[in-house]
Amino acid sequence: MSGVEHDFSAFVAARATSLLRVAYLACGDQTEAEDVLQTALERTYRNWDRVHHETLEPYVRRVIVNAAISRARRRAILSIIPMHSPPERSAHATDTDLRHVLMEALRALPPRQRAVIVLRYWEDLSETQTAEVLGCAVGTVKSQASKAMAKLRSALGRETVEGVIRNAHA
Amino acid sequence: MPMLEDEIRRLMADETAGLQAASDLAERVVRSSRVKRRRTWTAAVAASVAVVAATPVAYLTVGSVATTGAQVTASVAPEPPPIDDVPALPSDPPDFGDLGDGKEFGHVKVGYLPERLRWSHWSVDYGDTYSTSYDYKGDKDGFYCVQIYMYEEAAVQEVVDRIQGYRDEGDGEEVTIGDRTGYLVVQHVGEDGMKGTPTLFLRMGEKQWAEIMFSPTYAKEFSGPEAVTAELKKIAEGLTSTV
Repeated sequence: MSGVEHDFSAFVAARATSLLRVAYLACGDQTEAEDVLQTALERTYRNWDRVHHETLEPYVRRVIVNAAISRARRRAILSIIPMHSPPERSAHATDTDLRHVLMEALRALPPRQRAVIVLRYWEDLSETQTAEVLGCAVGTVKSQASKAMAKLRSALGRETVEGVIRNAHA
Repeated sequence: MPMLEDEIRRLMADETAGLQAASDLAERVVRSSRVKRRRTWTAAVAASVAVVAATPVAYLTVGSVATTGAQVTASVAPEPPPIDDVPALPSDPPDFGDLGDGKEFGHVKVGYLPERLRWSHWSVDYGDTYSTSYDYKGDKDGFYCVQIYMYEEAAVQEVVDRIQGYRDEGDGEEVTIGDRTGYLVVQHVGEDGMKGTPTLFLRMGEKQWAEIMFSPTYAKEFSGPEAVTAELKKIAEGLTSTV
């Protein structure tokens, strides 16, 4: 095994699961997430000599997020993504139900808004860091996050979320 | 902290908790990259064999029996190795060796470079993609100022897809360089503190594209984005194909 292969394998072993989770949240589909991750890693392996190792993970994350956005937009050209209707759920909705609603709501977001949510609330990136990943202005991140959160709030329903939390604490 | 944000985090964590990357992922990625390179190499060998086969060269074999190149070379093309029997790659990627002043490599000539830049003595050559760079010191291990990445034949699709992605995002702009077209964009490839890499993609032919990149650090030495763009366009104007 060459030095490059060894370093690359060590990086994948350490970070692949974390990156797969980002890809899944950005794509909304496990099979596509695995495909996007492998494509991103292939690109990383090809460019191994060009990417600074201290910025390796941000690089792969950027490739994943941008690939997910690009794929979603191309898909949208072929089929109109159905708009999600806010669910009518009781306060006793289970976590599994809520996760399903969240994923449906995430999938229904425009790809860039979805990416903002994943980077801000899953990766815990700041608005500035999110803007760097997406290559846009901080103001754009703020407005996209605001719009996305409004849609998620509507989809999840404050009462449902708060109801589940109350149940959990009861 | 607002409750909804916390809840989204928790639901995302629950949703992804069961996901686990495949244990052989790195191996698959490396193998896939090897196979792609192997395909490129095999295609190149097949093409060169086809050229030789078309040339009526006489071969004299033991026993003084003359035969034609077409008959001999028919068996020259190597069989593609089985997928699990691909020889290991060398540690260092293939390169062009000594390029002199570095202004001609692969199928392209560089007619213009910004002042003070010299060939870095670094290059990679993967067949249908290849690259070299320029810096102040001509140091192979130094950090590049300008890098030119070339895409040819099937590899062109990769760059076309990438540009389409930028178009879809409303990122970057179409440009015209003389009678050639291109695309100007700041890419983010995770280097130099992620400031972004000013890039000009130049269509040099149906099966040849160039990606001209300014290092973000080098770009800071110019008065602003307009000055960087002007330099990128000058480099693009000076690029000529030797295909």
